[in-house]
Amino acid sequence: MGLKKGKPTPATDVPGERQQARDLDGLLLALQAEDPLTRRWAARDLEAYPEAAAALLTQLRSERENSVRQVILTALTGIGNETAIRGLIDCLYLEDVMLRNAAIEVLKELPDQVAPFMGQLLKDSDPDVRIFAVDVLESLRHPRVEEWLIEVISEDPHVNVCATAVDLLGEVGSDQAKVALASLKQRFAEEPYIQFAADLALKRIEADEA
Amino acid sequence: MKRILVIDDAATVRLYHREILEKAGFVVDEAINGLEALEKLEQAPFDLYLVDVNMPKLDGYGFLRALRQLDVPQAPAIMISTESSASDRHTALVAGANLYILKPIKPEQLLAHVQGLLGEWQD
Amino acid sequence: MLNHPRISDEDFQKFREFFYRKTGMLFEDGKRYFVDKRLLERMAATDNETFRGYFTLLRFQASGAELQALINLMTVNETYFFREEYQFQCLVGSMLTEIVTRRTSNKPIRIWSVPSSSGEEPYGIAIYLLEHWPLLRQWDVEIISSDIDTQILKQAKQGLYSDRALQHVPEPLLKKYFQRVGTQYQVRQTLREAVEFTQVNVSDSADMRSHRHFDVIFCRNLLIYFDDISRKKTAESFFDALNPGGFICLGHSEAMSRISPLFDIRRFPEAIVYQKPLEAR
Repeated sequence: MGLKKGKPTPATDVPGERQQARDLDGLLLALQAEDPLTRRWAARDLEAYPEAAAALLTQLRSERENSVRQVILTALTGIGNETAIRGLIDCLYLEDVMLRNAAIEVLKELPDQVAPFMGQLLKDSDPDVRIFAVDVLESLRHPRVEEWLIEVISEDPHVNVCATAVDLLGEVGSDQAKVALASLKQRFAEEPYIQFAADLALKRIEADEA
Repeated sequence: MKRILVIDDAATVRLYHREILEKAGFVVDEAINGLEALEKLEQAPFDLYLVDVNMPKLDGYGFLRALRQLDVPQAPAIMISTESSASDRHTALVAGANLYILKPIKPEQLLAHVQGLLGEWQD
Repeated sequence: MLNHPRISDEDFQKFREFFYRKTGMLFEDGKRYFVDKRLLERMAATDNETFRGYFTLLRFQASGAELQALINLMTVNETYFFREEYQFQCLVGSMLTEIVTRRTSNKPIRIWSVPSSSGEEPYGIAIYLLEHWPLLRQWDVEIISSDIDTQILKQAKQGLYSDRALQHVPEPLLKKYFQRVGTQYQVRQTLREAVEFTQVNVSDSADMRSHRHFDVIFCRNLLIYFDDISRKKTAESFFDALNPGGFICLGHSEAMSRISPLFDIRRFPEAIVYQKPLEAR
C-alpha cells in the first residue's frame, strides 16, 4: 500500500454510454435515452452538428437533470447559429425561471448573433422580456449598446426596465447619456432607486470627462 | 450587530441596498449570484438575506432551496422581484422566502421589512 | 507632464465592479495602489492616455485579449511547495477520510494535479500524504499530474528546485525528500517515481477522455486565464473526470460561482471545496 504510479485511463475504457454510434442519428437517439449520463455525452458530442440545434432545444425544455441541461446549454453556445439563438430567445417567455436565466446567460455569450434581434426584444410587450434584453446588452460588445440604453431610459414606460438600463449606463454611459438621465430622474421623481442609480451614472460620466 | 447578505447581480442595486442598510446600523456583505452567496454563508452565516430573483449561475429560487437544506443556522430571507404574478410569489414562498416584495424598493419600506422580519425571527 | 494619466475614485469603482463581475476577484480599497499601478501599466502598453479609453477597450474588445492580459497581471502567479497549504490539510484531514469511508472496493484512490507546472504541486501532495495521512498504509494512492507544456513537464519530471521554491518546506522534510545537487535540490527518486506526468490540454476532449475516474482534482490558478465559455466547458469535463462524490479544489482567487452550477459547495474545517454530487454519475 502507499503511493503508486498512476496511469491515464486506457483508450479501451470508453464510457459505456458512449459506445453506441456517434453519428448524428445515433447521437440524436442517445439524447433521449433513459440514462442521464448517456444524454449528457450525447449533448456534448452534438456540439459538432449545427443541424442538431433544434433537437437540443427541444430536449432542453423537457430535461430534468441539471448536469445535462448545463451541457446542452454549452453545446448550444458552441453551435450559436440562428436556430439556436431563436430557440433561446423563445426561452425568455417561459415560466421556468431557471431556464430563462440560463438562456440569458448563453445569449450574453453570443453578442454578435444576438445583436440583430435586439431592437425587437427591447420593444417586446412583456416588460420582463425587455428586462432580460437589457441584461443581455450588458455583455454585448456592440457599438450601439449605449444608444439602445438611452432609448430605453427615454421611452420605456416601465420603471424596472429603466432601472436595469440605468445600472448599465453607469458603466458604459458617456456624455450623450446625460440629458436622458436627467429627464429620467424627472419622469420617475418619486422613485428613490431611480434617483440613486441615475445620480451614480451621472457622477461616473462626469468623472470620465474630468 | 446584525449581518445582512445582499444578493443581486446588479452592482448598483447592491450599492443602493448597502447604503440604506449601513446607515441603519447593519453590517452588509454582497454576493453577485446565488452560488457566491452559498460560498459566503458557508464561511459565516448571516442574520438575513436579501435575494434577487434573476441571476446567472444560480438564481434566487435555487439559492433559497439550497439554503433551506443546508446544515447552517437559518435566517429570514426577503425575495426581491420585478415580477408581480401570483405564481412567482408562490414559487418564492415555497422555495423558502419569508417575504416577497417588488422592485423598485423605497428605503423606508426596505428597513421596515428587514426590522420586522428580524424581530419576528427572534420571537 | 500635462496629461499624466491617473485613475479617479469613480474609475476605480467602475473598474472594480466590472472586474468582480468578470472574474470574482474583488479588490478592497487597500488594494488601490496595486490595482492603479497595473491599470496604468496596461494603459501605457495599449497606448491609452485615459482610463475611459482603456476601459472601453477592456469592455468591448471582441477577442477579450486585453482582459486576459490584465488578469495575468493582477494574479501574481508564483509556484512554490505547499502553496495554499490549507487545501492539502483539507485533503488529508477531511476529503480522503470521506472518500475511504464511502469506498466499497479497495481500488486505488486517484488524485489529479493539473496544471503540473514545474511539479511543486504534485510532489507537495505526495509529501503531504506520506507525512500526514496514516491511512496510506491501508490504501493505494495514485497521483497523476498534467500540463499542456512539454518543456515544463520535462522540468517537472526532473524535480530540480531552487531555494525559493522550497522556502516553505521545513528542514526535516527537505532532508527526507530532497537531495542537494549543486546549488539546487532534487526530489528523491522514489518520490519522482510515484508521480505520473502526462501531457494534457484541458480544452481537448480526447485528452480529457483519457483522464477519468479521479477522486480529487487540484486545478488551481488555471481557469482564471480562460474565457467564460472555455471555463465552463472545462468545468464540465472535470465533472465527467470525477467519480461521484469526488472533490475539486480551485485557486484562492477562483470561485466556482463564476464558472458552473454543477458542483456542490462543501465546507470542511480546513477549506471550502467543490464536490460532484454523490447521486450524480
